[in-house]
Amino acid sequence: MAVLGVALATMPADAQPSNTIGRVKIATGSAFVVRAGTSMPASPGLALLETDSLKTGADGRLGVSLNDDTRISIGPDSEARLSRYRYAPSEGAIALVLNFIRGAAVYASGQIAKLSPDAVRLETPAAIVGVRGTTVAVRVDPE
Amino acid sequence: MRLGAGFAVLGLTCALASGCAQVRRVAVDDPQRPPHDLAVLLPDSDGTVGHATVSNASGTTDLSEARAATRISRNQAPSAATVLTEADVQREFGDALSALPPAPQTFTLHFQFESENLTPESRALVTATLQAVKARPVPDVLVVGHTDTTGSATLNFQLALRRAQTVRALLVAAGLDESAVAVASHGEAQPLVPTPDNTYEARNRRVLITVR
Repeated sequence: MAVLGVALATMPADAQPSNTIGRVKIATGSAFVVRAGTSMPASPGLALLETDSLKTGADGRLGVSLNDDTRISIGPDSEARLSRYRYAPSEGAIALVLNFIRGAAVYASGQIAKLSPDAVRLETPAAIVGVRGTTVAVRVDPE
Repeated sequence: MRLGAGFAVLGLTCALASGCAQVRRVAVDDPQRPPHDLAVLLPDSDGTVGHATVSNASGTTDLSEARAATRISRNQAPSAATVLTEADVQREFGDALSALPPAPQTFTLHFQFESENLTPESRALVTATLQAVKARPVPDVLVVGHTDTTGSATLNFQLALRRAQTVRALLVAAGLDESAVAVASHGEAQPLVPTPDNTYEARNRRVLITVR
């Protein structure tokens, strides 16, 4: 029950725009959030939206937290996309799809994986990773 | 430095025998190896190890122990699971792991019956919460109020909201940026300990704080 409590608490309108899905927590070196084709520096605190991509250069690292406590980080020369994010447990809407495009990434599960493990899909160019509440590291070679 | 393609072959051999965890690793650093993806199961921050399934059109590999790994080449089934060393994990993922935000911390504060006053034990937790907040790079805090089932659901919603606001005010008074704290009420709808209606239950009169 405590789990759902946290889940529902992420909705208050006074805290953040309702379409914010998370925030940048850690960024070093060249680290960017790419939104609708535009790159912006990933400064800590930056709000994230569904379909944003996380992207780093050769000296970059980037770590984010999402509303359901999911955490994602990427190493240098890496890219991952927050392709789909739904976190409204009271409406039965729960989904998380991450696309690991290149480089190294770490996914640490949050409430979405606890409430509905099948709602989480981590995709690489060659496979899909399903999780049962856990931490997974993925590396994607350049083609 | 990359783990070599020779790894996958070893993994497949191993799948035919028991005790796969003890696979002998041969260091191969072959720049000519075909590109592949690597997926590794890591322990959670609390030390527990979950489970991951890596699949594509050609097959599926289960990862169920710490540092179990599979390699996936395009158009081939994921390799059988092998177990990486801690050094392998650090080499491949050290930078990414160092950027992973710390796991959220939760604190549960309890209230005296039908009041907005914290129990003495819980008052002490306010300090612990603040310390957790200050230790984080860009903290955001969720405060969710709950009641027991004594009284009407409507009044309990309001009571739980007041409790959450009380806790928020304590945190803000102690120096937390107001914009970093979100407040919500779940009234009597989500008891920690399920009870019939109109049941006095101290454990359900609580505010849950999540710091992340």
